[in-house]
Amino acid sequence: MDFATLKAKGLVRTAMAPPAVRAEFPFGLGEPGLHEIAESAYGDRAAATGFLLAAIGQGVCGAWVWVRQTSIVLDTGEVPEAALPGLASRLRLTVQVRNAQAGLWAAEEAVVSGAANLVIAEVEQSDFTSSRRLTLASTRHGVPVVLVLPYSCEGATAAASRWRLASRPSAPNRHDPHAPGHPRWQAVIERCRAAPSATGQTFDLEWNDETLSLSVVSGLAAGPAAPPAATDENRFRLRAG
Amino acid sequence: MSANASARAVGIEPGLRLTDAKATLPDLLSEEIDRTADLKALTALAAWMVRFSPLVALDGEDGLMMETTGCDHLFGGEAALVAGMSHRLVQAGHGHRIAMAGTPGAAHALARGTGLGEPPVLPSGREAEGLAHLPMATLRLSPEALTLLRRFGLTRIGQLYEIDRKALTRRFRSRQAADAVCLRLDQALGRRAEPFAPLRPPPEHVERLPCPEPLTSSEGIGDGLQQLTEKLCSALAVQGLGAQGFMFSAFRSDGGTSTVTVNAARPVRTPDHVLRLFREKISRIDAGFGIDLLMLEASRTGPMAPGSRPLSGDLAGTGFDAEAVSGLADRITARLGEGSVILTVRDARHPPDKAERQIAYAGQVPEVEAAPILGPRPVRMLNRPEQVSVMAQVPDGPPLQFVWRRRLRKVVRADGPERIAPEWWTYLPPAPGERGRLPRTRDYYRIEDSDGRRYWVFREGLYGDDRGMDPEWFVQGLFA
Repeated sequence: MDFATLKAKGLVRTAMAPPAVRAEFPFGLGEPGLHEIAESAYGDRAAATGFLLAAIGQGVCGAWVWVRQTSIVLDTGEVPEAALPGLASRLRLTVQVRNAQAGLWAAEEAVVSGAANLVIAEVEQSDFTSSRRLTLASTRHGVPVVLVLPYSCEGATAAASRWRLASRPSAPNRHDPHAPGHPRWQAVIERCRAAPSATGQTFDLEWNDETLSLSVVSGLAAGPAAPPAATDENRFRLRAG
Repeated sequence: MSANASARAVGIEPGLRLTDAKATLPDLLSEEIDRTADLKALTALAAWMVRFSPLVALDGEDGLMMETTGCDHLFGGEAALVAGMSHRLVQAGHGHRIAMAGTPGAAHALARGTGLGEPPVLPSGREAEGLAHLPMATLRLSPEALTLLRRFGLTRIGQLYEIDRKALTRRFRSRQAADAVCLRLDQALGRRAEPFAPLRPPPEHVERLPCPEPLTSSEGIGDGLQQLTEKLCSALAVQGLGAQGFMFSAFRSDGGTSTVTVNAARPVRTPDHVLRLFREKISRIDAGFGIDLLMLEASRTGPMAPGSRPLSGDLAGTGFDAEAVSGLADRITARLGEGSVILTVRDARHPPDKAERQIAYAGQVPEVEAAPILGPRPVRMLNRPEQVSVMAQVPDGPPLQFVWRRRLRKVVRADGPERIAPEWWTYLPPAPGERGRLPRTRDYYRIEDSDGRRYWVFREGLYGDDRGMDPEWFVQGLFA
């Protein structure tokens, strides 16, 4: 019996190696597996949310399940439909939960159900066991799961990566030097299973909401960028407008 | 006044005054009648009686009326049904009298009028004969009518049969009073229809599982539920229906009932799905000393289109599997409670905090026409705008410093304003002589503080718009 026959009968199969996760930014974020995005200090949740939507939200259509804990909604508000990309091809199902345990259960249920194409859970804490369960469910069902965690979340995790997000002064606005420009964030990758050597790396990111591109900018780590002096061109515009 | 058996033995009859009764028996025990508690107990008993027939109604303050048509064969005939019912009630410790007849009126009269030795089942069509010797008081007449009839010497129902209706009507003060007597008589004899109002609407589909040995274990209940669900779902499938509500009742042998209900967002009939919904709640069934009957009812049934799934996501118009989404919502709702699954729909409203509305997911995704988004919108919107105190400001410009959540924030850059007019049509004019709050326009600014955090703030009102005090500042949302 040759190999092809054996294989056809299901007696042997070639080892299915898991697809290699690209060991470069964003280290598998948005692909099946569990990823965590945490605030780096109180008040950075908007940055974490912005990074989440910029890094993975753009291409995902179908049903999103967004689990959120009531205490977080009361503190930092909710993500409006207007801020989400792809309005026409997407349905967002929000699950409101009272505690983190229920939130993690709902996230797992959503992954297993096969109804969701993306699961996002905003909970106050997560433990190793839950993150392991979510990782297994996520890889088995091929649904990306992202936990958005508060700054206080430090413990062990089984997630593929944990990002820590901080707001940075925005990019200079080309049209008006006094106005905020494209948002910039500092993302530190705290844990990364795909590329352990990348752990601790810092990325300064800029999100362009016109071209929908997330780019790494250099030389931003040291303090706010000074807006450029108004050139003749934009000075003229200001006067005219 | 009511009296129990031992009181009646010494000659104290219901309807006697308490003073007279006390005179007969000085150490008589008496208690105020608690009608509310009676009604509650009677309703609970009615819920338990559902095990015999789904149609149970309250009959006055002390009776239950049941429609048993088509139910008697489950118990081996009408006599066996009555005997079984009586046996159960004795076991549960309820004193009772049962009668069965072709009309509600006849059953009412029989239950209250017959002696102990008589057979309680009156075959249909023989009402006139069966009721003839019963006292007039069992005919559900008003006290005035009863008094009048007694004065004429009419004390048995049979005496009414021969009397000419016209002659009877003339004896009463009003036509209505006479008609009421005739109506009750006709209803008892089956000459006129009587509506039957059951406590709860009859279920459209029901499956029952009597247990030869009382169940006490949760495994037994789970197995029973599984059998019932499979039977019920195949019954639904035969008719091409699905149900949105399922009620599982367990009847205890001591006369108690426990019930759990699950709801689905759209009609379902997959046994696995229904069982999963019940799994979260099955522990609430109290087995007590043993359960001897399980029942599963389906309500809110509707047609189910046997849909086929699109082969790939691209072929589906919506891009998501509506059935799977609905199943997920059901399971989450069953565990976390009603209203946990929310849809956000856009609303064509001016104020940004009202441009979106959250509704509980109910199986359908509503098509809402939304106004286009005009300006930049923040990634997080606070539930309600939070007022801030502004330290330094220029009129008609963004703040230079402000305190939000007890921290001073210095504004480095700002953009705006985006002026959003109020919805003047939603305000009512103030009553004359009263200063109402007039709608004020809002100027929204996108600002960034020295920490690099970006906010969406607005000033409610303009300086010198003559619509109240100086304008106030609020934080509406947070930009990424």
